[in-house]
Amino acid sequence: MSECDLMRESMPLLLSESLDPARRELSHQHIEQCAACNREWLAYRETWRMMGDLPEVEVPARVRERFLASIPTVDEVVVPFRKRPAARWLAQAAAVVLLVGGSYWIGHRGAAVRLQPTPATINAVAPYSIAESRVLPARSVSPNIEGRPDIQNVSFNDPNPNDSEIGLSFDITSHVTVTGKPTDKSMVRLMRYVLENEDRMSPNRSRAIDWVRATYSQPGNADPEIAEALGNVLRNDEHQGVRIKAAETLNRMPGAMAFETRAALIQALKSDPNPSVRLKAIEALTSLARSGVTLDPAAVDMLRQKASQDDENLYVRVKAAEALSNIHP
Amino acid sequence: MKPPRRLLAWAVRNLSKMFPSKSTEKREMKHLSDQELMRLVQAGDFSPASEIYDRYSSRIYNFAYRFLRNSEAAEDATQEVFVKMLKHANQFHGDAKLSTWLFSITANWCRDYLRKADNRAKDSEDVLVTLPAPSEFSPDRTLEQRENQLRIQKALTALTPEQREAILLSRYQGLSYAEIAQISGCSEGAVKTRVFRAMETLKKALAGERGGDRCLNAI
Ligand SMILES: [Zn+2]
Repeated sequence: MSECDLMRESMPLLLSESLDPARRELSHQHIEQCAACNREWLAYRETWRMMGDLPEVEVPARVRERFLASIPTVDEVVVPFRKRPAARWLAQAAAVVLLVGGSYWIGHRGAAVRLQPTPATINAVAPYSIAESRVLPARSVSPNIEGRPDIQNVSFNDPNPNDSEIGLSFDITSHVTVTGKPTDKSMVRLMRYVLENEDRMSPNRSRAIDWVRATYSQPGNADPEIAEALGNVLRNDEHQGVRIKAAETLNRMPGAMAFETRAALIQALKSDPNPSVRLKAIEALTSLARSGVTLDPAAVDMLRQKASQDDENLYVRVKAAEALSNIHP
Repeated sequence: MKPPRRLLAWAVRNLSKMFPSKSTEKREMKHLSDQELMRLVQAGDFSPASEIYDRYSSRIYNFAYRFLRNSEAAEDATQEVFVKMLKHANQFHGDAKLSTWLFSITANWCRDYLRKADNRAKDSEDVLVTLPAPSEFSPDRTLEQRENQLRIQKALTALTPEQREAILLSRYQGLSYAEIAQISGCSEGAVKTRVFRAMETLKKALAGERGGDRCLNAI
């Protein structure tokens, strides 16, 4: 092949700007000096430009609707709520837990774990009995929790300490135990739901946080949703002890979770009424910086503000100043 | 990991307002990379489906539409590509680009479609979909643009399916020859040849038409 032939074969690459700089330079030099290739080049360029006149067509909205409607609904199971006084029960009736055979949808339809739907009339709901007990693998449970199911008697357990599986049990209409790896999405979502929806008055939330810390502070199990849920506890829990625990646990989360945890920590440092919580927030931000995460300007600003704020607790001011010197040695 | 061995039993009594709504989740999805979204799908969570659809449907649909010149087929292709993405999520490797994988599925679908004899017959739907002309263009420019669109569509149909696949992915999707080679299941050298031949054909088809125009204008 002559040099000109080679040149022409790479003209499309030159047009799509995918030649390396050296070859691009060589090509342009040749085109400038060779009249025949110059003509070709102009024709190529014009063709390429004209092709750009072909418009992008908008995808009809019905395509989206059709696709979203086709997302598996096959193994959906509606679990009605436990019988309760009629008015409350009716209010809850719209909320359902959908246990979807998510991963089973693909090629395992027959193997999906199913709960039999119960007709949604009050009389038809069988009286709640603890004797009805079911174990569901997390991978057969949809991670999407629909509505706000009133789950009760939540407990965590470790059926077999020698494997990496954990269990989370609760009552809906029957006693359900979901087992799986801490990283299974359904397990994460259930854990998040429990963390965020647990009764504020219950002293047990702090025990849930302990459990989360033991399980999810290991890098292999770390999950952004858990980090976010802890952030929400830190923001919203009315008990300072629980908020302190949440901040401590955030401090133990791997640096990779910084994106989810940073905002809650800055917020706590800024406006948590309890100085101990503010201190824990400083410690957690310092750990983030130490773990190699670049703290965003908002975090640094907040530490500066706290270090210099006259009416701030003296200990908090000192800690903030220390943290700054750690971040910028 | 070492979860506590004892059973921690406690009651959940009230429901709180803290549980994130669907729209929050949707907003959070926007921050996730393609790979992160696919990891959720691989774990059996299909909630990222709409986000992935929104990221890629336009590119997939336009590729299929230009390839097949049939809007109905392009709709079917788009639908089936995304369903396949969910069904066969485990075939996606985290280190690959999602776009490359999706285009592989799309190109396969389109090739299958063309292989069916019935479809070849109704192949060219002569509907030209045009965007409203931007107001800054003169009527002449608009007319020229519309004529160009028709010519380009015709010229693209004249290419072999392999050439058309290669030029569409290169010119309109901005994919590298390496990516196209992966999608088309051929070597990079073959992609280079296909794009070159496609450009030669298009150049002739379009230049011929342009020449005619000039003569007309000169009169
Ligand atoms: Zn030359």
